[in-house]
Amino acid sequence: MTPEIMSFSDLNLKLIAPELWMTLLACVVLMMDVFCPKLSKPKLAYFSAAGMGLITLLIISYGIDGVGGTSFSGMFVLDPLAIFFKVFILLSTILMILASIDAMEKIPYFRGEYYFLLLFSALGMMFMVSANDFLSLFITLEFSTFGFYILVAYLRDNLKSNEAAIKFFILGALSAALIAYGISLVYGEAGTLLFDKIAANPPTSSIGLTIGLLFIFIGIGYKLGAVPFHVWVPDVYQGAPTTVTAYLSVVPKAATFAIFLRVVFGTFLELKTDWQWMIVSIAVLSMTYGNITAIAQKNMKRLLAYSGISHIGTLLIGMAAGTAMGVESILFYILTYLFANIGAFVVVIIFQNLTDKDEIEDFTGLNRRSPLMAFAMLIFLLSLAGVPPLAGFIGKVYVLAAAMHQGLIFIVVVALINMVISFYYYLIIVKKIYSVEPKEYTPIHISTPLKVALYISIAGVILLGIWPNPFIEASVTATSVFTNLMPK
Amino acid sequence: MLNTLGEILASDQVGFPVLSLMIFIPLAAAVLISLMKDEKQIKQIALGATVLSFVLSLIPLILFQNGTSDIQFAERYAWIAPLGISYHVGVDGVSILLVVLTTFLAILTLGFSWKGINKYFKQYIICLLVLETTVIGVFCALDLFLFFLLWEIMLIPMYFLIKTWGGQRRDYASLKFVLYTLLGSVLMLVGFVILYLNHYAATGIYSFDFLDLLKAPISRTKQMWIFTLIFFGFAFKVPMFPFHTWLPDAHVEAPTTGSVLLAGVLLKMGTYGFVRFSLPLLPEASLYFMPLMSILGVIGIIYGALLALAQNDMKKLIAYSSISHLGFVILGIFALNANGIQGGMIQMINHGISTSGLFFVVGFLYNRRHTREISEYGGLAKQVPILAGFYLVITLSSLAFPGTNGFVGELLILIGAMENSWQLAAPAFIGVLLAGAYLLWLYQRLMMGELNNPKNKNLLDLDRIEIGICTALVVVILWMGIYPFPFLKMMDGSIQFITDRLDTSAAALTENSLPGISSKLVFKK
Repeated sequence: MTPEIMSFSDLNLKLIAPELWMTLLACVVLMMDVFCPKLSKPKLAYFSAAGMGLITLLIISYGIDGVGGTSFSGMFVLDPLAIFFKVFILLSTILMILASIDAMEKIPYFRGEYYFLLLFSALGMMFMVSANDFLSLFITLEFSTFGFYILVAYLRDNLKSNEAAIKFFILGALSAALIAYGISLVYGEAGTLLFDKIAANPPTSSIGLTIGLLFIFIGIGYKLGAVPFHVWVPDVYQGAPTTVTAYLSVVPKAATFAIFLRVVFGTFLELKTDWQWMIVSIAVLSMTYGNITAIAQKNMKRLLAYSGISHIGTLLIGMAAGTAMGVESILFYILTYLFANIGAFVVVIIFQNLTDKDEIEDFTGLNRRSPLMAFAMLIFLLSLAGVPPLAGFIGKVYVLAAAMHQGLIFIVVVALINMVISFYYYLIIVKKIYSVEPKEYTPIHISTPLKVALYISIAGVILLGIWPNPFIEASVTATSVFTNLMPK
Repeated sequence: MLNTLGEILASDQVGFPVLSLMIFIPLAAAVLISLMKDEKQIKQIALGATVLSFVLSLIPLILFQNGTSDIQFAERYAWIAPLGISYHVGVDGVSILLVVLTTFLAILTLGFSWKGINKYFKQYIICLLVLETTVIGVFCALDLFLFFLLWEIMLIPMYFLIKTWGGQRRDYASLKFVLYTLLGSVLMLVGFVILYLNHYAATGIYSFDFLDLLKAPISRTKQMWIFTLIFFGFAFKVPMFPFHTWLPDAHVEAPTTGSVLLAGVLLKMGTYGFVRFSLPLLPEASLYFMPLMSILGVIGIIYGALLALAQNDMKKLIAYSSISHLGFVILGIFALNANGIQGGMIQMINHGISTSGLFFVVGFLYNRRHTREISEYGGLAKQVPILAGFYLVITLSSLAFPGTNGFVGELLILIGAMENSWQLAAPAFIGVLLAGAYLLWLYQRLMMGELNNPKNKNLLDLDRIEIGICTALVVVILWMGIYPFPFLKMMDGSIQFITDRLDTSAAALTENSLPGISSKLVFKK
């Protein structure tokens, strides 16, 4: 086989234009921070958000025009799935930048770099969802995580933040090593790293391949924080600045799911019997462990961390179904999770900006201090719990219907029992928030950007519940890239 | 081949979406109220909305076409088309009276709340209005997804009603209520999804629509599974023995209006679900489970009645009496013949009226004395004669005295149950006796004898609003007791439809008999 020679004109740069613009934006933000020290940091944030808004429009226009294809010898792909996730990543990053402004004003140093790092991580994830072979998968995964290592440690004087960063880093490095080793085994069996080529020429099931896949799955499991690879999650979530936690809890998970989907469905669908049991067991463990442990939590961020673990479990059910409907349901569920979870964290951020507290007990009587926040939290928690007519409900029904189509009754029953358990701890928070006897009455003032973030999240949660059609259609379009999947 | 249902669109019958207006006016009022501060305006809007909703519910009642099983006043719009979910509402003989009952009780509960709510009045009214929307919606929904959606949303306002305005153990009771109901309803959801997937397998079309689902054949094994799963949803709600333990807690801790709505309409959602979905969709499974269901019904009757006899707390006593009365409803429905089903359906309305009345009476006393202990009262008839008079009529209605509505329902149920099997009907008669015992004994302990407790010497009699509430209830009690014919007539078409489906299945079963159903029961049909 002659090596392919790549010339610059072969590259279809139009495909990576959004990433290039994003790189430019990130660099400009960094330079502006350095060279215009008088520029206020909120302005920097608005600038970043506006720039990302434009890039989002560019990507959406790609989606409408049907721009797509591969570049860099097939390592980079732009298809409906990538577009779906890129829009997702950009929108949630904009949301988080808005939510971070107040919190950043409170820390004394490196306030500008924060936005740069957020943009940079988002950039990494945009590449990640377009990764089309194992090598770019590995590089982009590390690229995006790198920004997070710094962001988690952002509260330099806070011991917990430092501890969280070290834990995050060590386990991140471990999982990277596992993935790299898994990739080497897969390469040994398949002879190529490109997803398309593996799918076109599926290797036969063998011990080496199974072990390679297992390593890759474990590595991805770490990134997702699925049980039993979840140990870092609560500590990191609690120690990291809340704005970072909010981001960490949703966006990297979604991006990791994108490459997970590509590995599982774009590449190794033929080996369904080899991977299905792995995913089913991880899903059951994650849901059950996450929910049961969440009951005992006293800290809001830890509770949301454990509830996040259980949501990852629910998402994996759609994956275990292994059908087009399963993938659609995952994409839709991630959308519902985005608004509800970021929304819940925004409430925590607002509360923390004022009080510096994040124990569940501190939220007692929030209703009297800020009816808007209490109502928003109610909506978000109920959506997470899966109460109609909110977004989470449709997501859960979608996932469960996909699994039942495949006759995975056992996992559906486990999921439903977990739904009831999760309802319990979400309701405990609601009970505290709407307590009749608050400890404090000081009203909470919400600044404009945070209010905007809050309203966007509320609107998202309600809209996805009441009028999910356009979002379901988007999920269906994105799923269409896996042409070899069974429809239901 | 099983027969199916047709429908008459609202646009052909009245020309405007009467059901949707009725469902969403309370919700719209709730949204409007959430933006307001002035208590007087809030009251006016809430009253306007509930009265308007009630008036709108009278339109389908008056224009209702008897003698057809068709769904009437139907509206159907595509909603979540990719998943086959539509907004589809309509009423027929099964639901029309329950809808009117809901709007009727909504006015009465609002009247009761006119005074005496001393905290968070605005939020309280919002909860009541949202609750009204969801309950009417549940009775009108003909898309299983929409039904489930409203069924679940209903939990939220009820949770807050109990939690915020409830008694001392309100935290415990509200959480227990929600978790119990939720456990049942998630299992019910699985049942619905199996129905949905079965329809897809049979026709290749995704649909949660009740009328579509009726057309797809369901295999016997699947029917068993689905019946069992949705049984949990409905049984927790009714509540049937042995799933009843949340009810006394919820009733005792809920504020009076919460108890009224809980007993009056929320519990009916369970029995309604059996008549609406289980019997027509799963006739073979219904026949198979008939003995078990009837036995659970009978146990509920006796067990609830015995527990009611032992209570010292007025609200608890009435709560257990509800379990007993709903046992009758289940017994009637699962007699699976025309008389039994009709009795069960009319008894749902009767129980809604009479038990609400009892809870109102308890509420009147509680507002005056702030205790629910029976021993705190006694000899009140001399002090509050008007209350005592109304209370007597309501009590008689609740124990099925001839001439009141309760008599009609219980008679039909017992006839239906006897036609089915006298062994099952016989214990139910003991239940009738026991009902007389605990209700009259309660009346005696509260109202008769000497007025011994000095705290009761200054009790005020009913005021105008309270008299209005009681009068409205008593009028309905007597009307339905003396001339029930128009109400029964409305149900005939739907009952005919259900029994036809059951008979067709029973005939099919005798051809290749199924182990577990005694041939005797089947031949009776």
